[in-house]
Amino acid sequence: MAAENRDLHDELRAVARGLLATQRVDWSLMAQAGWIGLEASESFGGADASFAEVAVILDEIGRAAKPTSYLGGAVLAIGALKVLEANDSRDQLLTAVSSGATKVAVALPTDGGSRPRFRLDGLRLSGLAEFVPDAGEAEVLLLPTEESDGTPVMAVLRADAAGLAVTAQPVLDETRRLAVVSVTGLDIDNTEVWRFDGDAQQAFGRLLDRARVAVACDSLGLSETMLATTVSYVALRQQFGRPIGSFQAVKHACADMLVQVEVGRRLLDAAVDAVVQASPDATTATLMAKSHICAAAVDVIGKAMQLHGGMGYTWESGVHVYLKRAALNRSLFGSPAAHRKQLAQRYL
Amino acid sequence: MTLTPDLDDFAASVRAWCAQHVPAGWRDTQTGVSDEEFVHFQKSWFAELLSAGFAVPHWPAEWGGGMSVAEQVVLYRELAAHDAPRLVLAFVGIHHAASTLLIAGTDEQRRRHLPAILDGEIWVQGFSEPEAGSDLAALRTTARRVGETFIVNGQKLWASGGMHADWCLLLARTDPEAPKRRGISYFLLDMTTPGIDVRPIRNAVGESHFCELFLTDVEIPATNLIGLENEGWQVAQQTLGAERGMTMVELAERLGNGGFRWLVDVCRQPGPGGTRPIDDAVVQDRLAQLEIEITGLRGLCRDLVERSDAGVAGPADPSIVKLYYSELLQRMTDFGAEIAGLPAHTQLTKPASSGWESGSWVLDFIGSWEWTIPGGTSEIQRNIIAERGLGLPREPTAL
Repeated sequence: MAAENRDLHDELRAVARGLLATQRVDWSLMAQAGWIGLEASESFGGADASFAEVAVILDEIGRAAKPTSYLGGAVLAIGALKVLEANDSRDQLLTAVSSGATKVAVALPTDGGSRPRFRLDGLRLSGLAEFVPDAGEAEVLLLPTEESDGTPVMAVLRADAAGLAVTAQPVLDETRRLAVVSVTGLDIDNTEVWRFDGDAQQAFGRLLDRARVAVACDSLGLSETMLATTVSYVALRQQFGRPIGSFQAVKHACADMLVQVEVGRRLLDAAVDAVVQASPDATTATLMAKSHICAAAVDVIGKAMQLHGGMGYTWESGVHVYLKRAALNRSLFGSPAAHRKQLAQRYL
Repeated sequence: MTLTPDLDDFAASVRAWCAQHVPAGWRDTQTGVSDEEFVHFQKSWFAELLSAGFAVPHWPAEWGGGMSVAEQVVLYRELAAHDAPRLVLAFVGIHHAASTLLIAGTDEQRRRHLPAILDGEIWVQGFSEPEAGSDLAALRTTARRVGETFIVNGQKLWASGGMHADWCLLLARTDPEAPKRRGISYFLLDMTTPGIDVRPIRNAVGESHFCELFLTDVEIPATNLIGLENEGWQVAQQTLGAERGMTMVELAERLGNGGFRWLVDVCRQPGPGGTRPIDDAVVQDRLAQLEIEITGLRGLCRDLVERSDAGVAGPADPSIVKLYYSELLQRMTDFGAEIAGLPAHTQLTKPASSGWESGSWVLDFIGSWEWTIPGGTSEIQRNIIAERGLGLPREPTAL
């Protein structure tokens, strides 16, 4: 990474960390901070930054384990709108999302599947997607949809459209808001079918790449915080007349947590870079980063709970918040085992 | 990593070079060779690499190196992909000795030894002792000053390649009264000096490249002191981390471009009943996991070298890389041995000059302990990572 980029990221990170530490980060604050439109070009009211900067924000939100609708409402929404064909409607919506005026959610398959969950038969739309991030509060829903010949397109519906149901799906992780999005035989208008720009399969694949890396950023942030918290705790907590962090059983566990975080960081850097460059290896890099980081986060945070002892198991300590979020992240957009299986197809 | 056009050209030139220069069939001809043949092969391969500018790419340009990190990664990737022999004999000289001389040596010492290393001077490390392993600072070998000479007495252990070495990097105690880390000095020892007895020790793989060095009234001129008298511990601490990044870039590229590909090949071989391990979902899963870990390792190694060059490497970074590589090598060769099965047990020797993943999987697996134990055991690395990297309270140790 070029030095100027690194400085820019450090600055962005410091500002984000400050905001996340002191305030409840709601939608309007994120809009004010310019996070939502980061990646949109200036002509649409954005900051013309790249996914690399978005990744910094995602990492910081993960570190703070904050409930925000950044993933669904900004990262996936802007990402999806950017890969659709430009026209007045698309441009208007992109501008409205960038400024924070309109909330959009994208009903991607969240179970690791690689095909859209909605089908168009003529102009009759049907389908169901579960665990869609931040769909419950969206005013507009983007539904990746397969036409009868298998071409991915995007059905764009207002949330109050008759025949569209968005139902909140409460999960153990209270920091995420997920919903089931379903449509049963809804006749839609031609103007509600938006096309991907260029190769539609590839563009849809890029959205999945982006979703995987976004979740990996969050999980790495979760791990980083829990490692730091654990290190502080074991350096202070005394038993047998010594800080427990001086015992090898404890310090070696912390060392292993750091190694996992460091390896994850390298995999994430490579994946973020691949997404920014739209590299042909992007899917491989994102599968590696997502599967490894999200699995490691559960291990790292599980160890954090263990090393905090009885206190770590209390509701009040908050370690459970991180553990639940990490466990959810591990499953969101595909499990590590499924991703490894996908990677292994390259060896056959 | 996305290659720039310049790097693409460089990669193409390394590939062309490899196609012409990697000795055909060396694995077969180097299996079961005598020690003399091994030394001859190593020296001539070193000379080949040197004439191409590939032997010491990590050295500063003024001494014959000067490749960027990105170029080194490409070089090692291509050498591994073309199954080039490894530099085994020159390893301590081009890495440990060179980095010690560059960081802590005098101009005269550098002029004396760096060109000599390029001419084939072989080095060995004389650090560990029977009673000073993980607790290296407890070393007992003494160096008593008499005028401008030190008289050395003691015993060194695990001196890898000791029987072929021309020079030795030696730690010895010069002040027995001082606290243990304050009374050690760092010397360059000419191995032709009278009073040195070298005895090979057979290791678990059956090879005898480790040696014991018995030192009896061995004289070292004071001009062969590296750094100041009684500050040898600090010099060793400084130089050990510095060379780690360079050595690891090569090893990580080997693992990714040699070892992993052979592992996939083994998994594709039909076993009893004609089934291929690769068609088993569990095997696929473990291969993918290993590939991910190797990819992470390669990133760690590149970063370590870049950060070391920029002077911003963290105090635990070399230990993180060493620990991760060692244990990954062990996991990978373990899996290789499991997949290769009984036939791998009939490979009684592996080719000399091959890497840590030679494809003789059982021997490679047994040999992987040569990474998790020497150079600071995995347990010591975890202490360093926790104490220097994370700032956790130290274990009670004497100073």
